[in-house]
Amino acid sequence: MGITRRQFLAAASASAVALAAANAVHAGADETIRVGLIGCGGRGTGAAQNVLEAGGEVELVALADLFPERIESCLGYLRDPKNGLDGVKVDPDRCFSGFDAYERLLALGEVDLVLLATPPGFRPAHFEAAVAAGKHVFMEKPVAVDPVGVRRVIAAGEQAALKGLRVVAGTQRRHQEDYLQTIARIHDGGVGEILAGRCSWNTGGLWSYDRQEGQSDAEWQVRNWLYFDWLSGDHIVEQHVHNLDVMNWVLRAHPLRATAVGGRTQRVAAKYGNIYDHFAVDYEYPGGIRVVSMCRQITGCADAVGESVVGTLGRANPAGSIEGLTSWRYSGNATNPYVQEHRDLLAAIREGRPLNEARTVAEATLTAILGREAAYTGATITWQEILASKLDLSPHVREFGPLAMRSIPVPGRER
Amino acid sequence: MRKILNAGLIGCGGRGTGAAENWLQAAKDVRIVALADVFADRLAGSRAYLEGMKHDGVRLSDERCFVGFDAYRRLLALEDVDVVLLATPPGFRPLHFEAAVAAGKHCFVEKPIAVDPVGVRRFLAAGRQAAEKGLAVVAGTQYRHQEGFQEVVRRVREGWIGEIREARVFYNGGPVPHHARQDGWTDMEDQIRNWWYYDWLSGDCIVEQHIHTIDVGNWLLGAHPVRATGSGGRIQRVGEGFGNGYDHFAIDFEYAGGIHCLSMNRQWAGSDGYVGAWVRGTEGVARPYEGVIEGARPWRYEGASTLGTAYVQEHADLIASIRAGKPANESAQVAESTLTAIMGRQAAYTGRTITWQEMTESDLDYSPAKHEFGPLDVRRVPVPGSE
Repeated sequence: MGITRRQFLAAASASAVALAAANAVHAGADETIRVGLIGCGGRGTGAAQNVLEAGGEVELVALADLFPERIESCLGYLRDPKNGLDGVKVDPDRCFSGFDAYERLLALGEVDLVLLATPPGFRPAHFEAAVAAGKHVFMEKPVAVDPVGVRRVIAAGEQAALKGLRVVAGTQRRHQEDYLQTIARIHDGGVGEILAGRCSWNTGGLWSYDRQEGQSDAEWQVRNWLYFDWLSGDHIVEQHVHNLDVMNWVLRAHPLRATAVGGRTQRVAAKYGNIYDHFAVDYEYPGGIRVVSMCRQITGCADAVGESVVGTLGRANPAGSIEGLTSWRYSGNATNPYVQEHRDLLAAIREGRPLNEARTVAEATLTAILGREAAYTGATITWQEILASKLDLSPHVREFGPLAMRSIPVPGRER
Repeated sequence: MRKILNAGLIGCGGRGTGAAENWLQAAKDVRIVALADVFADRLAGSRAYLEGMKHDGVRLSDERCFVGFDAYRRLLALEDVDVVLLATPPGFRPLHFEAAVAAGKHCFVEKPIAVDPVGVRRFLAAGRQAAEKGLAVVAGTQYRHQEGFQEVVRRVREGWIGEIREARVFYNGGPVPHHARQDGWTDMEDQIRNWWYYDWLSGDCIVEQHIHTIDVGNWLLGAHPVRATGSGGRIQRVGEGFGNGYDHFAIDFEYAGGIHCLSMNRQWAGSDGYVGAWVRGTEGVARPYEGVIEGARPWRYEGASTLGTAYVQEHADLIASIRAGKPANESAQVAESTLTAIMGRQAAYTGRTITWQEMTESDLDYSPAKHEFGPLDVRRVPVPGSE
């Protein structure tokens, strides 16, 4: 599926007549969708596996990462026969490392679709460049770490729509059958009028890297990216965004304001950078609906990951059950949403159907940023304020070297 | 019964002095006749303030002012004291309340009434003793005595907002006082003068301060929670001299019937403040701090009661109940709210989900081995996942 056909498809989505023509062309021409992966860590490698597993004629043709050894380990995994993956067709000259790796990958004309899976701090720049290069995009969540980044993603997402590019985000619950069916029932009044909700991502700590001898500030921060605001956006943004996205989906809205607390209690060593280990947010949505958000990464505590919805007629767990006038439980097969999101993306590309999740994932990301900033500052913050905020955490590094860490936020002093 | 009711104040800090003033404002023929405090300077300041009121009921003399850790016992030994106002840091409350009931005194007890489950059980047992002896017990959870709150709660009970489904309680405030340690202060003196920051004295800010709103939540929901999960920490108030307390908590309290109440409190300088409660039912919302019901049957409190009048009203209600021979007894109610706050604190300190049952049986006891001036270690700041 070369560049000409891609451009044709882009134009085709403008009209039904052309769409029919596109589908006609599709039947005969090169069916293969060629994929480039930008960000070859664990999640990126997983995303590459998932797109290959999604079926149809898909080839992984190019890889980009800051670090060459991550490309090696990624390829090693994907080519391992016990993973049984077809379609790994990555030539050595299609492997790029360094700060400009993504630009070199995006310059490849044969790449139709890129998977953006670097730490989220890089996402706005990569997404903008991918759209400018005319690529369809799968991008991991979150899609930014600050309001400036969110606005860049929203704008690039609008550009993608104009260009007929498909955009799917790694908020995979949107592609998970149990969530889809339950939330459809909630939207049909399954719990009556919605009054309140709760969501949490309370779990233990994640991996971390100790600083190696001779490592620059910037390299250490990127390798240990979970713990630095400009790279991860803190764990409420990096991880809990999943649950917040579900609440936005259920409520068909974004919050209007947020009040929050947060801090660090267990994860206080220097290697844990400048992020918190717990947050709790009270979000207010339109109609006076309030949503509790709690997240923590503290080992040895009561874990809970999920969402719940309270309505006038009952309660729902969006992951598959409703208790109300009519109780219901999802009884279908468990689907793998990490593969399904790629199936949906590939189908939209092949069938010339519009699919653009840039705005929803940008809003989920901004919802998490809103909660984070409410905790960091101690202020009650409105959606309008955060949407217009000039907060830009990016140090705009283009090489490894000295890079001061912002101090750990202290509420009341960050305003 | 004597026509005149004589009160003694135990704990002569800001709140204690305020309680004594409120006592005098609450009714005719009431007097304040004795003071007790661990510190002479605090007692002197309180005495000067009360005498400065030029109120006929202030009848203090040197012989009736007691200083030291045993000051409360000497005050309680005064036979003409009918009522005691217990307003020391809450860590002393179970001990003082037990002694006051044993001495046959009616009690006004400031909130909270304990800092740990052992203290709550001691208080509850003494409260039952008080009932048997016909002694009145009123607590400093003054919203219970504020008409606007009473009217909102009554309407919620009558179904004005339908069936209750969800709640929030907030005490997002600023910092509380801090006194730099002086030369010559022992650990014990420093800790008592800075009592807000030490677990054994205050129970931490969720217990010491947020109990007000947690109590309003229990009142609105007509129950105590069955379990709690939450987080907390110290992020702004971390310097030396700030003891071992947290500066913020967020707790998901679950009540019977699957009703959840988010509890959030903090003592952060420079942050947006809000103290209040929100209860959402199937047909509306109640916000008692604003005196408002919204929804199918909107209503707004138009009366004159305020926080200020409630501080006086609680004493008026105490005095009226004594004079009517129908002693009020709020001990179980304030003990339940104190234990609710303690449950939330323990959920945050440990990171575990804590049940009410577990709290009622807990052996947690923060009391120091002895009350005397000298060295006193501070437990480390709690780290969830390792408590």
